[in-house]
This record gives sequence, structure tokens and C-alpha cells, in this order.
Amino acid sequence: MGFLDAQFVPALDGVAYGLLLFVVAAGLSLAFGTAGVLNLSHGTLYALGAYTGAECGDGTWGGFLLGLAAGTAVACLAGVLLSAATAPLARRGHLAQALLTFGLALAGGNLLVEFFGEDEMPVPVPGVLDSTVTLLGHRYPAYRLCFIGMALLLAAAGTWVLTRTRAGAAVRAAADDPQMLAATGISPRAVHTGVLAASGALAGAAGALGAPIIGPGPDTADTVLMLSLVIVVLGGLRSLWATLAAALLVGEVQTLGVSLMPDWAPYLLFAAMAAVLVLRSGLAAEPETAAHQDGAPSRPARALAAVRAQVTTGTAELTARLTGPLTSRLPARLRGPAGSAAPFLLLLAVLAALPSVLDAYSLSLVGYALALGLLAVSVTVVTGYAGLPTLGQAAPFAVGGYATALLAEEGWTTGPLLVLLAALAAALFSLVTGPAIIRARGTTVLMITLAVGELTVTAIDRMGWLTGGTDGLVGFPALRWLPGTPELLDERQLYGYALTVAAVALALTLLVLHSPAGKLLTGSRAAESRLRASGHPVGRYLLVAHLGAGALAGVGGSLMVTVQSYISPADVGFETAALALLAAVIGGTRSVLGALLGAGLIVFTRDWLAGAWPGHAPLLLGALFVAAVYLLPRGLAGLLPRPEPGRPPAPAKTAAPRPAERSAT
Amino acid sequence: MSRYEDAAAGTAGGEGAGRAPAPGKALGTGRAEPVLQLTDVRRRFGSLTAVDGVSLSLPPGARHAVIGPNGAGKTTLLNLIAGTDRPDSGTLRLDGTDIARLGPGRRNRLGIARSFQQPTAVAELSALDNIVLASWRHHGTGRGLWRSPRRHRQLTERALRRLDEVGLAPVAHRPAGALSHGQRRLLDLAAALSGTPRLLLLDEPAAGLTDTDIARLLDVLARLDTDTAVILVEHHSEVVARFARTVTVLAAGRALITAPTREALAHPEVREAYLESVPAEETP
Repeated sequence: MGFLDAQFVPALDGVAYGLLLFVVAAGLSLAFGTAGVLNLSHGTLYALGAYTGAECGDGTWGGFLLGLAAGTAVACLAGVLLSAATAPLARRGHLAQALLTFGLALAGGNLLVEFFGEDEMPVPVPGVLDSTVTLLGHRYPAYRLCFIGMALLLAAAGTWVLTRTRAGAAVRAAADDPQMLAATGISPRAVHTGVLAASGALAGAAGALGAPIIGPGPDTADTVLMLSLVIVVLGGLRSLWATLAAALLVGEVQTLGVSLMPDWAPYLLFAAMAAVLVLRSGLAAEPETAAHQDGAPSRPARALAAVRAQVTTGTAELTARLTGPLTSRLPARLRGPAGSAAPFLLLLAVLAALPSVLDAYSLSLVGYALALGLLAVSVTVVTGYAGLPTLGQAAPFAVGGYATALLAEEGWTTGPLLVLLAALAAALFSLVTGPAIIRARGTTVLMITLAVGELTVTAIDRMGWLTGGTDGLVGFPALRWLPGTPELLDERQLYGYALTVAAVALALTLLVLHSPAGKLLTGSRAAESRLRASGHPVGRYLLVAHLGAGALAGVGGSLMVTVQSYISPADVGFETAALALLAAVIGGTRSVLGALLGAGLIVFTRDWLAGAWPGHAPLLLGALFVAAVYLLPRGLAGLLPRPEPGRPPAPAKTAAPRPAERSAT
Repeated sequence: MSRYEDAAAGTAGGEGAGRAPAPGKALGTGRAEPVLQLTDVRRRFGSLTAVDGVSLSLPPGARHAVIGPNGAGKTTLLNLIAGTDRPDSGTLRLDGTDIARLGPGRRNRLGIARSFQQPTAVAELSALDNIVLASWRHHGTGRGLWRSPRRHRQLTERALRRLDEVGLAPVAHRPAGALSHGQRRLLDLAAALSGTPRLLLLDEPAAGLTDTDIARLLDVLARLDTDTAVILVEHHSEVVARFARTVTVLAAGRALITAPTREALAHPEVREAYLESVPAEETP
């Protein structure tokens, strides 16, 4: 009895927390399952509702209800805008949506902090509820009890709308077969807008109601997004009841779990998520989400296409003029089938010339960009070539970085040896995590790799005796090229070291990708069933690619540690993984050069441009992502002159998920 | 008379009596060990039994067609044999070895090749590269990712010959995604053939083809190795009549009848179930 008694309050907290997350996650699940929008700005919609609620709240019922109405309306409006923003991307797959919504989340979060300040806002609740009640001998905040009731009402209303009304039927039909729905006279476009508006309203209402529980602050959006992603994944997209069960589970893990097993609770969520996904992808192919179909492009879409064409042709002309003379003078061998080597040599020449132009700080930024560039290239290998969109490459990056720092601490200061050992450690890590990843496809891979990345960061965080915990590692001895040579202390020497190592690693990567191995990998992604039917062990190829990409990320991590002489969990967390993925996407997903330039662009925007406008790095990055998604549909690689002019454009189906192989005749 | 006369002249089985294999091809048939033996194979999808207790035994060199209405379980049956799907019960033997638990890659290396209902190729690679990839694991070229330049040249030459056989040599360096539907079907067929299979599974190879392409297809099929057993799933009844010596009619996952082609096509129950559309003069 004593045990139950002691855990009563955390357990009840878990119910309140779980119901709050349920309302948020139901919106996310609705947007993804029905409108096909992977909305990474969903947490920001919650924060929007929470800030609005806190702003309107004044301790009276009137203020509370006003906050609820205003928060819901504002987030609903944001949902409508999001629907308009994602409509032109309907045929471009989930990575383009991720780029857009992540950009919007970054910019939106920055603006919210701008308006409401960096501190968590206090949230007044109506006077009557600002008290405690006695439940089974425990004092419990009245607001939370009341919240449990309100959330249940909201959930019941939502379920009723979805299952008992005509609008709900249309929404469910849109998820199953949008063309059939269109044939019955309901515009799938209207359903798309309606679903995203409803999804936003749910997030906003949850924000306004839940502000006293998960208060508005700079971290709110991230926390809420992560937890609701976990819930959507655990619950699947099929049933609201499963989502509810998953939400309650997550709520209990976050409250009861922390109270019962403080050492293990941080791992529990993502471990459960990874386990569910791995088991499920072993059983069935990912359900195809309804693609939003629309016939004629809308006017903004057409205007956008015109701007985009201008930008694309203009820059293509420019790059052709810049690289043309250079390429034509190169021997034919260097103008290989997979694109010419000239752009790489040009980039190398520019990078090699930088030390005589730039100051020490900018130079170390370029060095950091090289490290992030290697990470982005490793994402390109896994995502673009092997077809496994990954949010988990920051994990081998971390392994390589920490291996370098720890070995240096032990007195191993020979740089090239450290790089090799870092690559080896990261490759081993990828070998262990690979089997869980390579069986899944599409967004499932994103979620599994997200879990792998989060588990790795949690482990680094909690193994303070080895990794220094959140403080990170600092003060290890400087590296040398060879035993006996002088230490690399000066920024210029470090940059030279980083550039050399990166160039060698990239040359190796390009050699492999342009060899037949690259074609095997391309085939595994683009026509997996054909390759399997021709006797290829596709799984083994994917594992090898994952392992190689892990080694490359490990080299990147090693370089980062060397350049900035410091590593902490913040350097290798979700943000790094997301930036690397987006750098690869901006680059064109399948372009090594594009990924490098994408990483450079991100570092330039976040660390150099933002230096002139402090505190606005996320806003600038967000603007960069949003601009990239609309203006560069084929990424930076689309700006390069095409290797074969006159070749018809790649069929649209490359972006579509692989056809399920299992079909009853 | 048939539009495909020239092409079909080589398929002695279709044109001839339709009961026994032609004398030249009798090698290994009759009492020989079957290449493929299915016993009571079942596959359910939820409440639907797609393949419901099918048994089948094919000798080397068999020219066997599987016909039936849409939804009869034909493609599921091919998927079960190729390994893209696993049966819920029943046994599958290739040359006497149980293969029911092996994956598609392993089964291909043992000698089962297939074409797809939707022709499947790597759109961004050239037709030639597609065939090189398809023959990569065959011809004793080892198992790893690495091929010596000499080996690679041999593979490429062999792939070019393969493309020439199906008439695709002129477009060998075109990206597969830029080929026409008919060309992609032939490319898929060439990919299936490039491992010199023991058992070839063809899933509606004539679907969507023009008459010229169908003649080309029949021509390629006529020149197949006499030892290769073939299972053809096809709706185009004339192709079936020309090519197949034996036919299994599937309906709702069950084998209605397995018999020599003419007998099967003439069977009243079959006509009733499926073949009303076949004009009498097309089944000699």
C-alpha cells in the first residue's frame, strides 16, 4: 500500500501529461496520416497556443476562455497557412516537407522568443482552479484534475467528429483514396486545408489548456514535437485509441517512470520507439500515406515556378560559364560519367586559398563547416544513394569525435592515426545499429534513426565519468601530423590538417560512389525488387553503405573535435543531425558536392551572418530552408550544368515510395 | 491465321500437337527429376486466400502457362516461387532442395529468375548498366563488391550481347527511365535472362506491348535454352497458345485444371470460368 500511495501523485500526473500529449499528437497524426504532411513545426503550433493563452490569461475565467479561443484560432490560422505552404510540395516527398516545416519551426520559434522573451512565462489559471484538492489523502492541484476532464471532453469530441460526421467521413476517405473522394464531388484540396487547420487548432487548444503543465518557453516546441513524434510512432496511424494508449504510456514514463527508475527513464521512450518500429518494419511495408492530388497548379504555385525557373537558369548559366572553360580543358578521363571532377578541384583550390584571405575565426568556421560537410556527405550516401533517409548520422559523428578526444587525452596525438581509429569506432557503431535500420524504408527510417541518435546523446549525457556529461570534453593535448613533428596549435595549421584529411576522405568516398559499387547502391535504392530478383543481397549492400557512411561521419566528428578543441552533447544532438540531413537535401540529396556546399551555406548562415545580427541565427536558417525548398527543387546540384543535356527529366516516380512487392494478383 | 506466325514457328510446343514436348526438346522430360515441385502451397492475406493449396511439378525445359481471371492468385503464386513472398504452408522444391525459407536473392542464385508485371529497372542507369547489374552475381564472377577491370569488361560485353538478343542494342547507353514501355519490358526480360536461369518466371510479359513487340517477345522466348523451365503468367491468350505446352488454370487461388495447352483451353469449365472471350479458331 505504501508503494502505491507514494506513486499516486506521479501516476495521476502521468495521466494529465499523457492526455495533453494525446491532444497534440492526435493533430500530428491527423496531418501525417490524412494530409500526408510530416509537420516538424507542430510543436511550434503548440507553443503558439501556449504563449497566446499565457498572454491572455489574467486569473479570471474570462481571460482563460479568451486565451483558449485566441490560442486555438491563432494556431488554426497557422495550420491554414501551412496547408497553403505545403500544397506546392505535394509530389516532392517527405524530405521536402521536413525541410520546409523544420525551417518554419526554426523561424517561428525565434519570432516567439523575440516577442515573449527568453524566460518561461508564468501562466495564470482561473482563481477557483488555482488551489489544491484532496484526493485519497493526497493534495493535488485542482487545475490538473480539471484539465484531465477537459482533455477527455476534447478527445471524445474529436473522435465523434471523425467517426460520426460527414466531415469526418471525408477526412477518413481522403486518407484512403483521395481520387475516389474527388470523384464524389469533395475537393481533396479542401480536405487538405481543413485537416491542417484542425490539426493546428488541436495543437493550439492543447497549448492554451496545457500551458500550466508544459509551460511556454524556448524549449517547449522541441519537447512537445519529440514526445508527440514518439506517440504517433508508437500508436501507429490507424487508430485514435492506439494513439491514446501510446500517449498515456509516454505520459507515465515521463512522470511515474522518472519517479520509479530515474536511471533508465531517459532511455525508455526512444528505446520503445525503436523497438516498435524495427518489429513493425519486419512485419509489413510502410502504409503509403495519401498523396495530395491536385490538377492545375494554383496561381502562387505558378508564380513560384516562374521565379524558380529564373533562378535556376540564371545560376546554371553562371556556373556553366564559370566551370565551362575549366571542364573543357580537362582530359576526358576526368569528366567521368557521374559528373566532372572539375567542380571538386575548383572547390579544393578555393578552400586551399582561404588561409591567406580570412581571419582566424572565419577560418576555424570553415574548418567546422568541413567537418559538418563530411557529416552531410555521409547523410547523402545513406539517404541519397542507399535510399534510407537518416536523422541518426550525428551518432557515428559523436562516436568519432569522442573517440578522438578520449584517445588524445590518453596521449595518442598522431592525427592521421586518430582519424583512422575514429573512423573505425564509428564504423563499428554503425555495424551494430545498421541491422535495425536497413530493413525499414521511408519515414520509418527517419524515426528509427532519430531514436538511435537520441539514445546515443542520452547515453553520452549520462555517462559523465567517460564523456564529461553535459559539460563535454575540453583541454586534451593538441594533435601532431606525425610523432616528433610540432603540435598543431595555430588556426592555420589546424585548418590545413582538416582540409587535407577531408580531401582524402572525400576522394575515397567519390571513388567508391563512382565505381560499380555506387551503381549497386543506386540500383538497391531505385529498383530494389529487380536487384533482389537478380540475386543481389540488397540488405548486405545497405549495411556496407551504412557502415562506410558511419566511418565517414566518424572522420567528420574527429575533425570537429580537432578544429574546435571541444566536444559536448550539444554538438552531436538532434539539431546537428537535422542540419546535416537538410544540408544533404539542400545539396540535392544525391550530390556529394551539393552536400558540402549545403553544409557550408548552413554554417555561413548560422555562425557568420548571424554574427552581424545576434540572436537571430534560427530565423536566418529557417529563411534559408524555406527559400531552398521553393527555389531549388532539385537542390544545389540542380544548378550545376547537367552531365547529359537533352536527357529527359527523371520520371516523377523516383520520389515515390517503392512499390510494395506483396500484391495479391 | 496468326499475326505471329514467323515468331512462333520456333515454339514447336504451341504450334504442334500441344500434348507432348517436341522430339528435339524431349531431353530430360518425362521421367526426369522435376526442376520445380510445389506441394499444397497456401498463402493468405487476412481473410483472403490468394493461393489455396496449389501443387505443381515442372520438368526441365517445361513451357508452362498459368492463366486465370484477375485476382486468381497468379502473381502471388509467382511471388511465392520467386521468394518475394513466403507461403503459409506447403513445400517448394527446386531440384529437390527445399527453398521455402530462402529469400529472393538466394533463390535467384540457385537459378530462379523472373520478370515483373510492372517492368522494373534502375531508371537513372543506362540499359547496359542495368543488365550488368542483373548478371553481376552470375557467371562465376565471385561474390564481393569488387570486379577486376578485365572481369568487368567481360560482364559488359556479355550484357551487350544480351541486349542485342532482345533488340535493345541501339539504346544500350540510354537511361532506362527514358525507354518506351515496350523497351522496358524487353529490358526486364533481358535482365531476367542474364543469369542463365534454370527456371524463368514471366509475369504478363506481353501486357501493353505492340504487335511488333509481341513478335519480338515470342522470338526471344522461342530461342530460350531448351533446358530452362518457364512459367508464363499471361492474359494474352494467343501468346499462351503459341508458347505454352502445358497450362494450369487458376481460379480463386485454386488450380482448376493442369493439362496440355489445347486440352486445358478447350475444357468446358475453363471456358465458362474465364475463357469465353477466346475465339475458337485461335485454339487449333
